[in-house]
Amino acid sequence: MPLVLPVTEGAIPDPFAAAARAAGFTAKPEQTLLVPGDPVSGNPHRELLLVGLDGTSDAEAAGARAAAGLASCREIAVDGRGLARSLAVALTLGAARRAWRFPNHRQGPPDADGDAMQIEQISLIVDDPAHLGRRWREAVGLLEATVFARNLIAEPANLLTPRSLTQELRHLEAAGIGVEVIPAKALKGEGLNLLAAVGRGSVNPPALVLLHWPGRLPLPPVVFVGKGMTFDTGGISIKGADRMWDMRGDMAGAAVCAGAMLALARRNSPAPVTAVLPLAENMVGAAAYRPGDVIRSHHGLTVEIVDTDAEGRLILADALSFAIARFDPRAVIDLATLTYSVFVALGREMAGLYANDTVLAASLAAAGLAAGEPVWRLPFTEGQREQLASDIADIKQCLSGPLLPDASLGAAFLSRFVGETPWAHIDIGGTDLRDEADERHAAGPTGFGVRLLDRLIALRYEDPDHP
Amino acid sequence: MLEVAFSKPVPPKAGAVVLLLAEEEAMTGAAAALNEASGGAIARAIEVAAFKGQKGKTVLLLAPVEGLTRLLLVGLGKRPDLTTLVVEEAGGAIAAALSQEAGVTVLADGLTPPEAAHLALGAVLRAYRFDLYRTKEKPEDKPKLTGITVQTEDHTKARTAYAPLKALAEGVYLARNLVTEPANVLTPGEMAERCKALTKLGVKVEIMGPKEMEKLGFGALLGVAQGSVQEPRMVVMQWNGAGGRKPRKPLVFVGKGVTFDTGGISIKPASGMEDMKWDMAGAGAVVGLMAALAGRKARADVVGLVGLVENMPSGSAQRPGDVVTSYSGQTIEVLNTDAEGRLVLADVLWYAQEKFDPAFMVNLATLTGAIIVALGQEHGGMFSNDEDLAQKLTSAGIASGEKVWRMPLGDAYDKAIKSDIADMKNIGGRHGSAIIAAQFIQRFVNNKPWAHLDIAGMAWSSKDAACTPKGATAYGVRLLDRLVRDHYEA
Repeated sequence: MPLVLPVTEGAIPDPFAAAARAAGFTAKPEQTLLVPGDPVSGNPHRELLLVGLDGTSDAEAAGARAAAGLASCREIAVDGRGLARSLAVALTLGAARRAWRFPNHRQGPPDADGDAMQIEQISLIVDDPAHLGRRWREAVGLLEATVFARNLIAEPANLLTPRSLTQELRHLEAAGIGVEVIPAKALKGEGLNLLAAVGRGSVNPPALVLLHWPGRLPLPPVVFVGKGMTFDTGGISIKGADRMWDMRGDMAGAAVCAGAMLALARRNSPAPVTAVLPLAENMVGAAAYRPGDVIRSHHGLTVEIVDTDAEGRLILADALSFAIARFDPRAVIDLATLTYSVFVALGREMAGLYANDTVLAASLAAAGLAAGEPVWRLPFTEGQREQLASDIADIKQCLSGPLLPDASLGAAFLSRFVGETPWAHIDIGGTDLRDEADERHAAGPTGFGVRLLDRLIALRYEDPDHP
Repeated sequence: MLEVAFSKPVPPKAGAVVLLLAEEEAMTGAAAALNEASGGAIARAIEVAAFKGQKGKTVLLLAPVEGLTRLLLVGLGKRPDLTTLVVEEAGGAIAAALSQEAGVTVLADGLTPPEAAHLALGAVLRAYRFDLYRTKEKPEDKPKLTGITVQTEDHTKARTAYAPLKALAEGVYLARNLVTEPANVLTPGEMAERCKALTKLGVKVEIMGPKEMEKLGFGALLGVAQGSVQEPRMVVMQWNGAGGRKPRKPLVFVGKGVTFDTGGISIKPASGMEDMKWDMAGAGAVVGLMAALAGRKARADVVGLVGLVENMPSGSAQRPGDVVTSYSGQTIEVLNTDAEGRLVLADVLWYAQEKFDPAFMVNLATLTGAIIVALGQEHGGMFSNDEDLAQKLTSAGIASGEKVWRMPLGDAYDKAIKSDIADMKNIGGRHGSAIIAAQFIQRFVNNKPWAHLDIAGMAWSSKDAACTPKGATAYGVRLLDRLVRDHYEA
């Protein structure tokens, strides 16, 4: 089996010294060296990949590079002997994350091209597996949670409708998560008119799904809200054809929140957490909602529709005010592939963070750094809230024109529906996908947010003495 | 510029009068006397308008007292929240509401002398108007306000406090004039000429043309300029206000001065291209700042540098794909000739470091559309390699009302400008492009504390603000004056 061997600078094992010199490999972080055959055991069929690793480098990144370097192998092993347990686990987790690939919808086996990711199994070799303990279990739980989210995001929209996504979420019951569904016909009765309106153009009806992790602390829940557009054509304000296929991933916010719930369940978090997931499909239909429509939100504010393609903020608005009214949560964090604007602002590397609460914002920034899913705080202002004044309703959904700070305006809009509850909005419109694979990242959905939310809960909401 | 006078309180007999009221405070003193003279009309108006002294709120009365034309009530908000910025905005509201009055008297006995001075500053800043090219405007359409008198017990102290603010206002006016001038008038050569006027204030002004820059090796800047018949200039303005107490590293400010930006061969669409006359607003702000600092004799050594070019498409213009060698020696593949500002800054920043060994450098540039998409028009984008400088800029922004918002830098963004043929290329993708532009500029920062302010959303306003009529804002002058005043003066 091909082996990943982490080495530190100045400590390249003798059998590889000559090859390393020839290739200029000095075991700096970011360096890898593929050695065909294994001069130690003399096994000619075994490949060895040396990866540079030191105490300060990112072990997950090194693991990812290892998986990319051995992509054509079905099984690989990571040699964690002599490494600190945390490094060995991080190295393996990084390799496993990089080894993700799209769900296989081919007739035959997964693409057998040389470059395509083939890894099916990764083993970690340590001297004493029993001692990996909790750290290993948590890493595996987190990996499972991230894969759960990434698979849902990648799934095509003809196969993943609001109804079938609800079915997928029901599987979380096996992990101890309560699943509650408010179906399409009950939405208006609950006052969730924005969600109902956005879903109206599609033959696949919308729904609101609630996931409950009870935890053990006798406190109200922290609430995650995730945007779940299983497909977004833009509706009557239809999008251009180019890259419209990416819109099958416009439910990444909901998938990530569900994944985070699974991560909490897998490590048996003491904190009660509820996810509120508005699911809908935004289609061009005879019954579709229109620009100019005025709709009364769950909150009570009436909303003038300007652009049916700014639908995410509508379904979030209803979900936020529903969650606050029903749960009086300790905090609400919503995640959404909300805007292209945040992609222009921050690119693929960081998500946009908007918050009405400085402490929550700082906690999220810290959790993001710790989890390798960084967020950068951006402003929304009173001036922007005022710009959303409508001639006919309480508030306009968005503005139209060139060079608008649409991500900030989206946050300003949402802020009207949350009142005083500590709230953060994370716009993952840039971090949700990678267009191309590179050493560090697989192509496709990243699952950005699962680890961030899990880490936020761990950092901030699990201490019974400091609720 | 609006004439400003300070006097001790005397009951006004003619013209327009302004009463300032904080929340939950009753009229006293001169205000109470006026109310009595009006037969209680002022109190009734306050009642009817539900005026409670709210910040930014005003109520106008016509001829409430024999001899007075207008009376304006201006809310100051809650007294404990009163800042110089709040009174500046009150001053701005006065200038806007009473522009048809010739003279205005403000009863300001509730204000401290510095507050009274800032009130006057706000009025002056709001009363700015660029009238040079209106030849047929009817007199009745022109604003008539020429003077404002602020009445306060401590009028001598207020007058003293106003002197440096007047210099600041002159810097702001200068910057606004430069930014407003059309590009057929304000060429690089003309702008350099106008910088010479700063010598009267004691600023040492040095101008370099294409020959000097060629000799130095400014390949990046000259590549941008080569498409235009207008020759480029670099202007170096030195203000030595620290008094030579001990030799100290100067503060350096660098401005992008593209007097017109067509985009070059990578030409911009026609719609909105007229805005590109203000693509020199970074340089305009630096010139205005130097005028303000010298005008108030700031006790600091400061150097302002501006790179002035016109970016035109022509037979001699730079092409996408060209490779230029910058003054730093680093080579640049120019993939988009409309990403020209960073090329100008690259050479001027490197020169500033070679020549002046600065304590820090702050550069200002109308650099990217992406920063507008990221932050809108209420914050300039700030990128910095130095926590301390970033902190100070943030607090100066809050104090001056010219706010900044910090944006990230990082290796992951720097990768976007890797070139196949040169040390770097001048653009990455559209996403994160304001950050990528900052990464490009950072490659020309040689281990100095540095901040880059992307002011593309701040330089020009399509609507009136409290102290800034629509048009050129001179964003950056008040911010950086405040930075120097609060942290770097001996």
